[in-house]
Amino acid sequence: MKKLKLTIEGMHCASCASNVEKSLKKVKGVKEVTVSVMTHKGFVEADDSTSEEEMKNAVSRAGFKVVEVRVE
Amino acid sequence: MRFLERGLKLLKYGWNKMAEEKSIEEREIASWKRKLIGSWVLTVPIMLIMYSGMVFGLSLVPMKWMPIVLLVLAFPVIFIFGWQTIKAGMRGLVTFYFNMDSLIALGTVIAYITGFLHFFGLTQDYSGVSSMIMSIFVTGKYIESRARGRASSEIRKLLELGAKKARVLRGKEEIEIPISDVKVGDVMIVKPGEKIPTDGVVVREESSVDESMVTGESLPVDKTKGGNVIGATVNQDGVLYIKATKVGKDTFLANIIKLVEEAQGTKVPIQKVADKITSVFVPIILMLAVLTFVNWMIFTQDVSRSIGVAIAVLVIACPCSLGLATPIALMVGSGMGAKRGILIRKGEAIQTMKEVKTIVFDKTGTITKGKPEVVDVYTVGKIKKDYLLETAASLEKLSEHPIARAIVSFVDGKKLKEVKKFKILRGRGLQGEIGKKKIVIGNQTLMKEQKILVKGIEAKIGEFEEDGKTTIIVSENGKVIGAIAVADAVKEDSLEAVKKLNDSGYKTVMITGDNERTALAIAKQVGIKYTIANVLPGDKAKKVEELQKSGMVAFVGDGINDAPALKQANVGIAMGTGTDIAIEAGDIVLAKGSLMGVVQAINLSRATFGKIKQNLFWVFAYNVVAIPLAVAGLLHPVIAEIAMAASSITVVGNANLLRRRKI
Repeated sequence: MKKLKLTIEGMHCASCASNVEKSLKKVKGVKEVTVSVMTHKGFVEADDSTSEEEMKNAVSRAGFKVVEVRVE
Repeated sequence: MRFLERGLKLLKYGWNKMAEEKSIEEREIASWKRKLIGSWVLTVPIMLIMYSGMVFGLSLVPMKWMPIVLLVLAFPVIFIFGWQTIKAGMRGLVTFYFNMDSLIALGTVIAYITGFLHFFGLTQDYSGVSSMIMSIFVTGKYIESRARGRASSEIRKLLELGAKKARVLRGKEEIEIPISDVKVGDVMIVKPGEKIPTDGVVVREESSVDESMVTGESLPVDKTKGGNVIGATVNQDGVLYIKATKVGKDTFLANIIKLVEEAQGTKVPIQKVADKITSVFVPIILMLAVLTFVNWMIFTQDVSRSIGVAIAVLVIACPCSLGLATPIALMVGSGMGAKRGILIRKGEAIQTMKEVKTIVFDKTGTITKGKPEVVDVYTVGKIKKDYLLETAASLEKLSEHPIARAIVSFVDGKKLKEVKKFKILRGRGLQGEIGKKKIVIGNQTLMKEQKILVKGIEAKIGEFEEDGKTTIIVSENGKVIGAIAVADAVKEDSLEAVKKLNDSGYKTVMITGDNERTALAIAKQVGIKYTIANVLPGDKAKKVEELQKSGMVAFVGDGINDAPALKQANVGIAMGTGTDIAIEAGDIVLAKGSLMGVVQAINLSRATFGKIKQNLFWVFAYNVVAIPLAVAGLLHPVIAEIAMAASSITVVGNANLLRRRKI
């Protein structure tokens, strides 16, 4: 299990945040996601094997960009 | 050529560097501002062209050219300045990740297309209107992003609080290094007025330190050798030599930032309804717009009117403020808390707090300071207090017992005498010789053992013990010369805090492993109504559970050994006393170990939750009133867009008003 903090650019409303959440939840291995439109941060709990690249893609599918990934 | 290339490279580097250093908020505000200026530069002429004819009967542009001029002017507004919105919105429509951009994108693009349809005489020309809608939308977003920046200002300040550089001792040299290069064990030199670079312990000199920025404690705290200091706090009047004990993400400040940031991702239960609505809001509005169009077509056969009304429906709906109502208030609330050393970890706590009826306090370390202190000194006959204390401290100095340390630190500064033949009598006391005098210090058992009579001070001992104090008897050459009372003293403001809670109608309970007598003595001192004594450390959670049968319970503990009880309680309030923060324990963490923080946390939770309710009410009311008006065709699309922008600015602005509340 790993915990990641994603900094996401471009979200400007709550429906954006919930779209990112939905999209991230579909990534294989992702267990828990909370995205805050206020801090531009997404907190992800996922299996160790989960690819960061796929998470980034999931965010961009919802229309936004990951500018930083930090492992907690 | 070469020179030019290099110059360009440098410029590019500088530009990138600048962009990097700006926060996401600042970049977003700047980007909305650019769009705002660009779109109004074109929209103002559009409005002049459109309304000069309507209002003053003037035609700035020949009638037959007007539609083309409008289409040309509106194009950049929609497809350049509004491109991001159009792109995100259209993508949402295609991928079914609907968002509020989808509504604006659809509304403006349809309005723009009417400019072409107009040539075929199919409909009225709404292309000018599309430009106005986009400009107002962008303006609303700009104002909102500024207000959001303000809402997060306290949290941003927290991020910027840390020191950038440190002066450390390398060998005998003082060198200045970036904060990231400081390692555990480095000795840092901090001059008056400077920020302490990172968490550490004072190894030389003394000073007072302003910790208000981290703990909310307004008075400077004295720091002497061995004292713990927190990074980012400000040294006041002396030079301090500090050995770094924590660096980087382990520091107190880094932990606070982490707590506050993570809290923003947690949900307040009341928000769930709003979130559910938000997620289906856009598709519903899309359907509603289609239905509205169809109905208007059926009943009026007026294409222009039907399109206008449908556009108004698309742009008036405001899913954004609905989704923002809670997080924005939570953000302002937690920022206000962070400034005062109250860290809200879970958004849920601010809602639950409202239902709490009982507040349970752990005793040691929560109500009391958690370490023994000398609270009373009694001497027999003509013996001077100083003499008694010096004699006792001379022996106690050689012991490591917490009570011994309490006596030594109480006497601190006075001259201690040389002790010979020192012996620790485990569990009972100490003995030794000063000069020719034989000194025995300890409890009643020890005195009895050594056949020293305690007759003269029996009453005093009884009195001390009645108050829950531990009595240390001091004897010289077989005669009692006095007694020292040691107790775990109550924190200065515990009394005031408990009184405030009692007055607000909370049931205050103290829970402790101490015996009944000591427990009651402390409870009486601070005004706590109910006491549960003789509780084993593992049973605290069980006692909380029992209390929960008669209503919601908040548990206040110091986090280290109280974790199960903090978890069991409906709201767990952990004391992040000193320099350690018990991160996983509580829903709310008080950085300053004061009970007044509990009162403040309750006030803050109530104020924040009140603001959330207010925001949600306004947003629901707005949508419930505005959408039917738009469907009924009573709002021009431009008015509809103004109303929408106003409603989302109001929500953010209203959240910022929370700041005015006294906590």
